[in-house]
Amino acid sequence: MESQGNEPQPSGHGPAEVTSSLRERTIAENSMVILLQGLQGQVTTVDLKNESTARGRVVNVDAFMNIRLKDVLYRDRKAQLTRLQELFITGRNVRYVHIPDHIDIMKTIESQLAKIHRVRNFASQGGGRKEYTKKTK
Amino acid sequence: MEERERKSAKPDSKETATSSCSRTPSVPEREPEADDAAGDDDADKTDVCSDKFDPLLALYSPTVQVPFPNVKCFNNVSAYESFLRGGRGRAKPENVEKRRLKAMKGVADPERIERLKKLMVNNPTPQSEEGESSGTARRRRQQKPKKNVLTRMPLCKGSPLGELYRCVEERIRVKVHIRTFKGLRGVCSGFVVAFDKFWNMAMVDVDETYREPLLGEAFYHEKALTISRLFEKLKLQESSAGEEPEKKHEARETATKQQPADCTSERGHSRTASKLSDSVKTKHKVSVKAQGPEVCQKKDSQTYGKVHTRHINQLFIRGENVLLVNPQPL
Repeated sequence: MESQGNEPQPSGHGPAEVTSSLRERTIAENSMVILLQGLQGQVTTVDLKNESTARGRVVNVDAFMNIRLKDVLYRDRKAQLTRLQELFITGRNVRYVHIPDHIDIMKTIESQLAKIHRVRNFASQGGGRKEYTKKTK
Repeated sequence: MEERERKSAKPDSKETATSSCSRTPSVPEREPEADDAAGDDDADKTDVCSDKFDPLLALYSPTVQVPFPNVKCFNNVSAYESFLRGGRGRAKPENVEKRRLKAMKGVADPERIERLKKLMVNNPTPQSEEGESSGTARRRRQQKPKKNVLTRMPLCKGSPLGELYRCVEERIRVKVHIRTFKGLRGVCSGFVVAFDKFWNMAMVDVDETYREPLLGEAFYHEKALTISRLFEKLKLQESSAGEEPEKKHEARETATKQQPADCTSERGHSRTASKLSDSVKTKHKVSVKAQGPEVCQKKDSQTYGKVHTRHINQLFIRGENVLLVNPQPL
């Protein structure tokens, strides 16, 4: 069905899509990145380590905290404003991510974990492959 | 049952006398339900399904009715034996199975449909008896403890992260020291909602006090920033705006108060050692700074190097930036 150890390519159907890479899924499941993945589609501010900030809509967050934003207002440390259509931030450069006030942190984490759980069980529960072996009868 | 069918078909076909003679004694053995009853109705005797079935009579009678019309006929018993064993179109169990499955290829198998239904999410289907393997597998997986970021939080008990979990559970306000590329940037004071092994933290009700790092010559010359100095600078900033000498005294007091707070912040982080020594040094230097307003004013005239505070309702901190976490004593 899917090859394991896929490079982090988003499947791209929508912000609610869980990554198809098993490795990324497990990393996300066991760390707080999953909270950031739950913010996909929201408008947030990301504070970077270089004292600049980027405010925009979160397109995608991967297991390594790499963040893709769109329609971004980027403010550098000199407070100089720049408008950008797309911005990619390397995970290591993130310092803070502001979480919108209306987001419930625990609920977001739990719903993301449920999504992963669903994807994982669908793929492995004797469905795709075991379906066609002789032993099914 | 099949044997009975084929046996009754034989009267229509010619048999060699020898084979029939040799076979007839064994025929009644093969027919468990056959009765060697003498006399009675001919019809009864030649009826395969009756108690008074006489196989010998049935074999030679021209008027035997076969209960199953579409039965496979054999010329002799050995042909029948050979057919049973498999012969050319060998009826081996696996071949039979293969041929059956092939024949059923296009047909919708209800069992398969049941299996697919079981895969569907949020579809409570009753488990079929056939699915015993998948049933046990699911039970095993349910019994296996789930490991995710939320379940891993309480597992840290006994380690520094376990202390952090205690702060989550008991909703203790913590102060998180944030680092810049070299040294302290500031403090985030708030409640931790969730964390992970990298010290990534989700916090609420955060008051951040920070100073952007100085660069260049200023960086070279400045003394290392500590918590006490940070708040001291903050106070002086506010005071120089209003220019009240009392606030400078307050600053000194708050600076000394910060010291015990820093002392209690030892949570197994080695970096606190350097911070403590720094804060010990500041005890002496604070008074110098308080009495040296001209130095502070010089700092304020520059547009950077100022200490800022802000309030953020919900904040996610990447663990890499955390210097230390200081639970506030109640």
